[in-house]
Amino acid sequence: MLITCLPNVATQVGAYRIMTGNKFHYPVGNPELSPEDETKWRAQILSAALKVLQTPVEAPTIFDR
Amino acid sequence: MAKILHYLNQFFAGIGGEDKAGQEFLFLPKPVGPGVLLNDLLKNRDIEYATVVCGDNYFHENEDAVLTKLGEVMTRFAPDLFIAGPAFHAGRYGIACAKTASFARERFGVPAITGLFEENPGTREIGRYVLVIQTGASSVSMQSTLKRCADLAALILNHDHEGLEAFREEFCLKIPRRFTVQANAPDSVRALDMLLAKLRGDAFESEIPRIQAAPHPIPAAIQDLSQARLAMVTEGGLVPLGNPDRLESSRGTKYFKYSIKERDDLKSGEFEAMHTGYDTSTVNADPDRLIPVDAMRRLEREGSFRQLHDYYYVTTGTGAMPAKMQELGVGIAEEIVASGVNGVVLTAT
Repeated sequence: MLITCLPNVATQVGAYRIMTGNKFHYPVGNPELSPEDETKWRAQILSAALKVLQTPVEAPTIFDR
Repeated sequence: MAKILHYLNQFFAGIGGEDKAGQEFLFLPKPVGPGVLLNDLLKNRDIEYATVVCGDNYFHENEDAVLTKLGEVMTRFAPDLFIAGPAFHAGRYGIACAKTASFARERFGVPAITGLFEENPGTREIGRYVLVIQTGASSVSMQSTLKRCADLAALILNHDHEGLEAFREEFCLKIPRRFTVQANAPDSVRALDMLLAKLRGDAFESEIPRIQAAPHPIPAAIQDLSQARLAMVTEGGLVPLGNPDRLESSRGTKYFKYSIKERDDLKSGEFEAMHTGYDTSTVNADPDRLIPVDAMRRLEREGSFRQLHDYYYVTTGTGAMPAKMQELGVGIAEEIVASGVNGVVLTAT
């Protein structure tokens, strides 16, 4: 699965499992949070990413995080 | 009556092989070699056919002089159509075909056709609007290529725009490059004209060729994540501090893997992003923001999945050619699959 802030481009080039990242220069970062909270936040994002890996798709699909 | 000018190298003009590659530029007021067959295929039309010949080495050693002479012939003979090759997979000939066809099209506004194998280096020299018929790698496909060439020539000479589009779609190489050309109006005017045409529902053509991604198989969903080994990949250029393998900071041509074994997170000062496509400072301050080792370790400990692969894979995506990225992607995928990895989280900047 792909985490990107350009999901439309990802769809165009034919990636199948797409999740929108936070910012294009730090797709799984959230520097406004404290380091502990940021890791917790990131674990939630990756947990959603793992669900995406378990989801069957038939066409390029953009998933919520 | 229509006039066709055909460019050939010494070999296809029947002058000789490598020993005659120094053949000087030559004008012949008749069809020669493949031109004879092509002229025959177009025999129900009134055509004046002429040929220009140049040795492969002579062209490359005297390119400017050859193009000057070609320019003189273009002015004097004033063809309605310029044909070069086909060159199949012949490199020097392919480049000469690309350059002469582009010259005829750009300097003289004459429709230009050539025929190239997709990996011919000539494809990198093709100018905008030159029609490149896709050929096989060798002249075994000469007959079928010339048949297509004749069909295309007929469409051009008949000004059959619809037929031309259909032909281009089916038989011509897509050249996904940007070209430097002289336009007849500033970009702002062209962009607005295009927008107005779109709003009116009129036909318009984007100046940026669209890259068509070849469809690929859908990766199966992971059935049992608790038994899965997962790997992380990025095009965001994250490398160990000091960039020991010298990953390019743009237009990556290589990929590398770096160990995250026994690491609970990636620390600032140990890794850095080499990438001119984004502001890397936030990732450099905490590389987990690109390769989320801290979060993946947490989920691994919680038993969400079995194991995090010992390496992450990296290249630099910015400004890169899709064909190159596809090649790198295949390499990474093969290595990862061979390592028993069941799923990948790929972060892109």
